[in-house]
Amino acid sequence: MAIHERSLVEPERIVRKERLVIDGVDVSGDWNLIILPRVINDYDLDFAKEIINSPDGKTITLCYQCSYCTASCPVHNYWDERYNPRHFIYLARLGLIDELQKRADVMWRCVSCHKCTHRCPKGVLVEEVLKVILRTMAKKGLIDEYPSKKFDKFFTESVLEYGRIEDGELLFGWIEKQGYNVVKDPILKKPIPFLGETPEWLKQLVMKPIKSMNISFLVLNAKHMLFHPRTKSWNKFKQVLRKVMQEEGALT
Amino acid sequence: MGVIGKRVAYYPGCSLEGAARAYDVSTRIVARELGLELDYLEDYNCCGAMESKNITFMGTLLLNARNMSLARKQGHDVIVAPCNGCSFSLQRAEYFLQTDSKIFERVNALLKEGGVDPLDKIPETYHILEWFYHEAGPQKVKEKTKRPLRGLKVANYYGCLYTRPHFYARTYSHAGGQSEEARPRRRETADDDEHPYYMNALLEAAGATSVEFEPMHTQCCGGPHSLSDEQVSEKFVMMILQTAKRNGADIIATECPLCHASLEMYRHRLMMKGVPDVDVPAAYFTQLLGLAFGYSANDVKLKDNLSDPLPVLKRLGLA
Ligand code: SF4
Ligand code: SF4
Repeated sequence: MAIHERSLVEPERIVRKERLVIDGVDVSGDWNLIILPRVINDYDLDFAKEIINSPDGKTITLCYQCSYCTASCPVHNYWDERYNPRHFIYLARLGLIDELQKRADVMWRCVSCHKCTHRCPKGVLVEEVLKVILRTMAKKGLIDEYPSKKFDKFFTESVLEYGRIEDGELLFGWIEKQGYNVVKDPILKKPIPFLGETPEWLKQLVMKPIKSMNISFLVLNAKHMLFHPRTKSWNKFKQVLRKVMQEEGALT
Repeated sequence: MGVIGKRVAYYPGCSLEGAARAYDVSTRIVARELGLELDYLEDYNCCGAMESKNITFMGTLLLNARNMSLARKQGHDVIVAPCNGCSFSLQRAEYFLQTDSKIFERVNALLKEGGVDPLDKIPETYHILEWFYHEAGPQKVKEKTKRPLRGLKVANYYGCLYTRPHFYARTYSHAGGQSEEARPRRRETADDDEHPYYMNALLEAAGATSVEFEPMHTQCCGGPHSLSDEQVSEKFVMMILQTAKRNGADIIATECPLCHASLEMYRHRLMMKGVPDVDVPAAYFTQLLGLAFGYSANDVKLKDNLSDPLPVLKRLGLA
């Protein structure tokens, strides 16, 4: 018999017998594939409570495990079938922390396309719920810093500081964070795009405006990188933002 | 027609003032030609895009509420945004503010504390494409077209968040089969959720031919991860570009600066790796409409496009 969502079962628990007799009845043929049972007793029921209590996570209670979300998800379909939103929701509600941790290496890969949320027949805000699960895991120290979280933080810090983001600074600042040696000007300490180390493909791409003599584009972006565009009446508002984020435990 | 209003608050979002300047410039051209008026939202802030919402729930709501408050101050009930990420963020805020009075009150109190006028009313957000379609429409585009995009085969790429999720975008959902009454937030201007066609319709009215592009037209480009999870983004962009190319597209039309940047960046990477069938360039749909309205390649800033659609357009005598 076919096993649906085979990726959820540890391979060593799937056994195929040559010949199988149960209570004197020969059940070989279609019935010779067995999933060995397992015992689970470490449910953490408080874990789900924390998700239910957050405004963007409360719809987790509506889920009836139909798997429409997983069937729609491009990360599940085109990247890694271990990425399974329905299953993450199931595990989070039961509080099966170690099972969640086993999947920590794929859980962060959601690209926020919201197909799952869109298609869910029960009105679960699936994408939001998944992000709350990750947030809660991070808060409890159950998951390592993962790349997209690092980027999200980096991005949000820039918003907090200036009120606006700037593509060039974001790009080169991020490259620097990845360990590349980025050259900065001595006065404003801003990255200089054409110097220092950059991945080769990006270097070529950055050179394009120069090659096509697109001077006005270069000047505009250079100006923005040097003098980060900022929202004018920002200071007072920034403090409120900081306060709110502190309350949520979002500032570290 | 005429549901949204001819004069609206225009929220360009950060990238349209920098790397996506071409989108801003061409959007203004198209709006002017179609007899619509954009009122620039003064001193706006970043919407938090797809990133901040993963870090802070209240903080992201506040960011968007501040922009809404600015729109109200400028006398608007409607905000249009040309970016999928921005319109998503604003619509998401709209959703939480509308459906939860406690959140609404808290946000208003915090706005006040931060020196911003509290919201007397929650403005509605539309994607700029929706606005163009409903306030001008294909007929008007046809009238204004001086140089039809004849012979140009376009793959219309909508990206993921333009129609999704229906809770925020207030589109119809094909799943679930809820009754009309169960979907009070659906709006009549919304594009079809699984088969959006507004961009097809506008570009076809300007003389272009749409090529078969489903289901990639609403497939995610991996944008939010384009810097942090390059493998996934690269794979998604490859699928999009190859589908377009193999269906005969000369060009991909985009309506989001993030999708556009992601497509161009990874197109370049894929081409360097020698992956076949990925050499379709991208252009904002407003750039193409601008060309059709008789503007030059320079006017719509075609040189800004890193994927270089100029040769294709020149060959067809369109630029
Ligand atoms: S589609 Fe909705 S109800 Fe079905 S499994 Fe996913 S979250 Fe649960
Ligand atoms: S939002 Fe995330 S989980 Fe949902 S369909 Fe998209 S990638 Fe999958």
